[in-house]
Amino acid sequence: MGLRRVLILIILGSGLWAFLHLELTPANLIPNSGGLQVAWNFFSRAFSPALTYEAAFVPAETTPLVWKAVQAAGMTVIFAAAAMSLALVSGLILGFLASTAWWAGDPAGGRSTTQVVLRRSVAPFIYGSTRVLITLMRSIHELLWAVLLLAAFGLSHLSAAVAIAIPFGGTLAKIFAEMIDEAPRDVANAYRGSGASPAQVYLLGLVTRAMPDMITYAFYRFECALRSSAILGFFGYPTLGFFIAASFENLHYGEVWTYLYTLFFLVTVVDWWSGALRKRFAA
Amino acid sequence: MNSAEVEVQKLYDQRSRNHFVIWSGVLLLTLMTGSWFIGDFHLDDFFSERHLVNLGRFLNELVPFSLQGRPFSLTETLGWAGRLFWEKGLAATGVTLAISVAAIVLAGSLGALFSLPAARNFMAPDPFIASLSESRQGWGLLWTAAMWGTRAFLIFARAIPEYLWAFLFLTILGPTAAPAVLALGLHNLGILGKLGAEVVENTEGSGLSALRGLGASRLQISLAGLFPLAYSRFLLFFFYRWETCVREATVLGMLGIVSLGYWIQDARARNHYDEMFFLVLLGAFLVLAGDLLSAFAREMVRRYS
Repeated sequence: MGLRRVLILIILGSGLWAFLHLELTPANLIPNSGGLQVAWNFFSRAFSPALTYEAAFVPAETTPLVWKAVQAAGMTVIFAAAAMSLALVSGLILGFLASTAWWAGDPAGGRSTTQVVLRRSVAPFIYGSTRVLITLMRSIHELLWAVLLLAAFGLSHLSAAVAIAIPFGGTLAKIFAEMIDEAPRDVANAYRGSGASPAQVYLLGLVTRAMPDMITYAFYRFECALRSSAILGFFGYPTLGFFIAASFENLHYGEVWTYLYTLFFLVTVVDWWSGALRKRFAA
Repeated sequence: MNSAEVEVQKLYDQRSRNHFVIWSGVLLLTLMTGSWFIGDFHLDDFFSERHLVNLGRFLNELVPFSLQGRPFSLTETLGWAGRLFWEKGLAATGVTLAISVAAIVLAGSLGALFSLPAARNFMAPDPFIASLSESRQGWGLLWTAAMWGTRAFLIFARAIPEYLWAFLFLTILGPTAAPAVLALGLHNLGILGKLGAEVVENTEGSGLSALRGLGASRLQISLAGLFPLAYSRFLLFFFYRWETCVREATVLGMLGIVSLGYWIQDARARNHYDEMFFLVLLGAFLVLAGDLLSAFAREMVRRYS
């Protein structure tokens, strides 16, 4: 029996275990009559999202629904962009420290005792501890960071941005480091051969070579940041999630779809944007 | 200027400039700096005296309750951690893991199915035969329409975050694990369906066109040709998405499904920050274990298939 079949059997077997462990039977997956009614009421509004509020009484000075959706989308973008700016800065710094290209395997590097000590022990130590830090940052979900920061600092916009920025910074650092380490060495070797300093080799030879991949990946993470930023609305921040939860709990399903389509639009625009960039880089 | 400098200047003038890339960069930078000015972010919210006192109190409360105000003792700490782990941690970890596995198996099997009607070459009037695929009439039009329909569904499924799907399904299905599994499954179906479609589109065509030339149906081509060719690349994506499923399954508990997130939220509501912190770390450990297992599995797939 080939490895393929073994692997598929293992996957299906674990799936079966999971369903049994959660006591998920087909009956569990079909809603009861009350749930079916909610499902019908909700999904039937998918093709007729609301353009005005569905509440019976709307105070005269309330912002119109469509404008409110635009504002919420704007806040979602602002939180995502602020978080990404922090994540990019920390990702670049930590990504540099977590790459091996700046210290390992440089035969032309310095031969003096200090330089050898630096390369053999200090650099690997910095590299190792950065890796541990990055892993810790990544392993805790942004919503859990938000819970921790809320408990530590209270509800502020800065907590939300930092909560997204920590795991995203860790992820960016990990991916950036791998991209720099795996970038083609042609340019770097040419620079080194013509006598460039290590910093020049690294920045002009390696980072520039990895740049298109890094930019594309950063865009993808921006798309993820938009989703996370929308979700933080569930914690009381004025992003799309807040209004989705509020409208859903008031049974205003048309409004929910308006906000959902707004989020869909945001994510799709960024997705299209990064796709277009990727095409330009590939050409 | 000597001739070398002229040459360099000429090369500099000929450098490739792409306005779309440049303006994208400018726009993104403006967005990122601008957000700090209009988003109500204040450093005071972290570093004012009141907040620093708060922070100090919070950090103190991370120390296990039975040890607060007393000298540190390893046995006491380990006992405390052990009790928490056996009482809540273990069961919650099991549920978290089960949710992630159930969701990814659901998303993987459906995603493999959906990647076919989302792939351009599969849905062409004459699948995998490029030269004959120009005609866009009758049945061909219908195949194309079905492809765009599938794609639209997949895009929407992945644009809405798992947490949001779970919130919506919770009302419909009630507080079992089902909404979490369905939410994670739906979002990842959107992603795996798209990635799978790309795998199908990038699969080397000669063998497949030969099958088509011999008169094989779409079903026969996918079973005999596509599946063996695309299998390992699809599995790489499958394991990569499973990692994120573990991460998300932890957090979905905050909606009331008894995974780790539920107990984290519960400890926070009771102001038991030591317990909350322990469970967050346990979640981080689970995510880490998942990453390692997934990396191992992907390495196996790469090496042996």
